[in-house]
Amino acid sequence: MNEELDSQLSAMFDNELPPAECELLARRLSRDEQLKARWGRYAAIGATIRAEGGVRLNAEVARRVRMVISKEPVLVAPSGREQSERWGTRWWRPVAGGAVAASVAAACILWLRLQATPEADTVIARAAPSDSALGTGGGAALSLTSNPDSYVVPARVPARPSFFPSMQLAKYVVAHSEFSSPMTRRNLLSALMVNEAGSSAGSAGPELTDDVEDDAKSPQ
Amino acid sequence: MSADVSDLSLVRRVQRGDKGAFDALVLKYQHKLVKLVMRYVRNPAEAEDIAQEAFIKAYRALPQFRGDSAFYTWLYRIAINTAKNAVVSRDRSPIEYDLDRNSSDESYDMQGRMKDSETPEGLVLTDEIRTTVNAAIDALPEDLRTAIVLRELEGLSYEEIAAAMDCPVGTVRSRIFRAREAIDRRLREVFEGGLGRTEELG
Repeated sequence: MNEELDSQLSAMFDNELPPAECELLARRLSRDEQLKARWGRYAAIGATIRAEGGVRLNAEVARRVRMVISKEPVLVAPSGREQSERWGTRWWRPVAGGAVAASVAAACILWLRLQATPEADTVIARAAPSDSALGTGGGAALSLTSNPDSYVVPARVPARPSFFPSMQLAKYVVAHSEFSSPMTRRNLLSALMVNEAGSSAGSAGPELTDDVEDDAKSPQ
Repeated sequence: MSADVSDLSLVRRVQRGDKGAFDALVLKYQHKLVKLVMRYVRNPAEAEDIAQEAFIKAYRALPQFRGDSAFYTWLYRIAINTAKNAVVSRDRSPIEYDLDRNSSDESYDMQGRMKDSETPEGLVLTDEIRTTVNAAIDALPEDLRTAIVLRELEGLSYEEIAAAMDCPVGTVRSRIFRAREAIDRRLREVFEGGLGRTEELG
């Protein structure tokens, strides 16, 4: 037995052999009984140095396991390379995570766009009002654009169904302000103001805003 | 260097149907596993039975082993669970356990264990191995002895040993190999000359 091979065996026993050399030596080790006997003696040397008291060093367990395994069917598993490619590197995990996150984000954007569609229709309606809309618009038109006739008030109603409850709530809070804690009242009214600020600049807006501002400015 | 690379190459071979590679893994870890199991059972023969069962369970489960952890870590868990289950089942029904141990299915193994481990001859062999190895270690030059002890007793990597001994990693590899060869030369004499048990280790 050549010395280089024995040196490799010793390094492999310590898990210190480069992977490429390990592959070759593992193949040889599994077939060469003499090499395997040496490998077993290396294990016995280690056990003795570690003073593993009570442990028998005559490789009895290995003999018995070998006997049982010889009757077992040969294992069928994916090849090492396939398994390594499939599981070992785990490169796909962050990619899959990113893909899931991107899919969720895309679904959210799509959903928001679908939700925004009636609003968009309204905008289109503002830009190009029909004759019937002009006829039924009542006096609710605002001079937000250069073409005041193009504004259609009814289209806004379904887009903000929560407006009236929140206004009622605001009135309730204002009416009962003397019984509520200043901190709670201010927070609630601030939230209402933020919620309504962007959307309620229409006819009902000033009424709510006035109430809220009055309350917010009132001494606590 | 991956801590488990050589074990993994043997595991991959077993997964491709090479039973000889599993034999190498058993040879490497049998003493460690028996020692581990002896934390749960005091009787060495019983510890060997449990270690054997753990190895067989590991072999059967090996197709599912993906190498996420080191092979020994995985084997360690199997052995711990097997030992705990053995203790629980023995505590629940000690009579059944003893009857099982004497059943005809295992009579062959029982006889084998009696023959090889518990007989005076088996004990003498173990003692002789210990005496020979210890004497061989004592006879080693200081640098070889330090390298092999740091490796086997302290479990240091070659790189750590190189740092401790202030020498290149290649030198550490060479020292450990030469130490093993010197000990193995005397150990072989015990097996081949004295008790003729070389095949037991291989």
